[in-house]
Amino acid sequence: MTEELSDLILNFKRDAVLEIVERRLGAGEDPLRILNDCRRGMTLVGERFQQGDFFLAELVLSAEIFKEVTAVIEPRLSRAKSSQTKGRVLIGTLQGDIHELGKNILITMLRVHGFEVHDLGVDVPPSAVVDKVRGFKPHVVGFSALITTAFPSMKEAVALIQEAGLRDSVKVMIGGGVTTAGVRDYAGADFQTTDAMEGVAYCLKITGGK
Amino acid sequence: MAGDMMTGTERLWAAIKLEETDRVPIVPQLMPEPAARLTGITQARVAADNAVALDAILKTFDDYGGWDSIYPGTYTPLQLQVLGADPMKMRIPGRDLPDDYQWQLVEEEILQPRDYDKISEMGFDRFYQEEYLARISNLSVDDVNREIGALMTTGMRFVEECDKRNVKPFFMGSGMHPFFTLSLMRSMVAFTKDLYYNPDPVERAIKRMTADVIAAQIALGKEFRLGTLLITEERASAYNYPPRVFERFWWPYTKQIVNAFWSEGIVTIFHLDQYWDKNIRYFRELPRGSFVLGLDSTTNIFAAKDVLRGHACLHGDVPAALLSVGKPDEVRDYCRRLISRVGDDGGFILGSGCGVPLNVKPENFRAMIETGKNTKA
Repeated sequence: MTEELSDLILNFKRDAVLEIVERRLGAGEDPLRILNDCRRGMTLVGERFQQGDFFLAELVLSAEIFKEVTAVIEPRLSRAKSSQTKGRVLIGTLQGDIHELGKNILITMLRVHGFEVHDLGVDVPPSAVVDKVRGFKPHVVGFSALITTAFPSMKEAVALIQEAGLRDSVKVMIGGGVTTAGVRDYAGADFQTTDAMEGVAYCLKITGGK
Repeated sequence: MAGDMMTGTERLWAAIKLEETDRVPIVPQLMPEPAARLTGITQARVAADNAVALDAILKTFDDYGGWDSIYPGTYTPLQLQVLGADPMKMRIPGRDLPDDYQWQLVEEEILQPRDYDKISEMGFDRFYQEEYLARISNLSVDDVNREIGALMTTGMRFVEECDKRNVKPFFMGSGMHPFFTLSLMRSMVAFTKDLYYNPDPVERAIKRMTADVIAAQIALGKEFRLGTLLITEERASAYNYPPRVFERFWWPYTKQIVNAFWSEGIVTIFHLDQYWDKNIRYFRELPRGSFVLGLDSTTNIFAAKDVLRGHACLHGDVPAALLSVGKPDEVRDYCRRLISRVGDDGGFILGSGCGVPLNVKPENFRAMIETGKNTKA
């Protein structure tokens, strides 16, 4: 059963995946077990992507299927089960930039891998990041950018986190096609990537996931 | 510069034709937004009036000692929307955003699956003007005509101003690859689902749009007689899509476009953003010297040079991040590396990777221009 769902996700067979999920739920199977079977499929997609055998389009397609599966299964999970997470990640596109395509792909992939993610949205003032770091207590804070005008906001947000005495409690990652290692240093971040799956791998490393 | 043996136009065309140059030609992709910042005016002003946008570009050109060919930036965001060059909802400074914000596009599913066949039946321009534009803007017919009039007036003035400075526009006709246009109109995720789950209507639309792009752009090419036309693509590369998608939906139509332009003696200037490392080898199938490949620094331009050496001119690729947060010495080092490793046998135009960023540091912009002028290939 596990292999069947994994294979279907690997081949982007949306309708067949949803049909099997409904059938297994109808047969009274544990929803968490079905969800984990789908997660295994998504993990395989992520591995293929990192090996260069799959492409962003395929990551997106499989993530879209997973989102639909989650929408069906999550209401049937007990509160205790659905709150088991690998860690908390706070993500946003900061002031000066309203783009969210890359951010949304990363958020989906983080959720697929079991993270609780809070999406700050776009054009977020740096001060709002600090407030949310206090309340949400993330393990990782991520800033996404498509254009360079978001860089000063990243730097300011990191400085404000530092001023608030919270810098030691979080790791900061930045991402987006326009970012570089130089921008990571400029902003005072810990990690930079242009690749959603590298972002997921970093969060897993920080939170002790595999 | 003292010691220059060629005019800017001679230098540019020698590079495009893969011949030797006295130094590398320089063509930064300076659009109105960084030009506004460099000349001290707000984004709202250049976004509202393309005559102001042109003035900002010309002032920057003059203030920084000029370069070899000017990227045409004679538009406002609304005019790009009217033309179908940016076929999405927009957030514009002074209207939807603070005065000194960069104008930005909104990723939304505006195009619907049924529209692919409408495009293939009606043609892109008619579909866009009669059905689509009203979904992304509230412009009246009079507004559209006024914006097109302003574009034409300022475009003609741009050509005259270039003549006064003894340089040519880099191009005057500019089209987007149909694949890219559809992805923007439909949104990337929905478009990807269409490519995988319902590909035939997409393919029919791309086929029709390719014919439309060729006809419209060749007409512009003949009108302006510059010998170049721009084609932009930012989403089709092998980071996003596997070879089977690229080979079915992008590459055959790209070959059609380049070959059609080339049959009229026109060189295709590609503006290719994102990661194209795995796609570069395909470009060897195009006629030698028929295109220029503009890269944005995400693609490894040094590896691209190895593949296309002696076959095509490359353009780029000083990273936007370096220009905005780097130091002048770092910019100089990067430009020298480009000139020595990509420009060593001609076939290279020094420029920014993608556009010059809005928040470019003036000293970094100057460092890029002057390093190009003062470094022997």
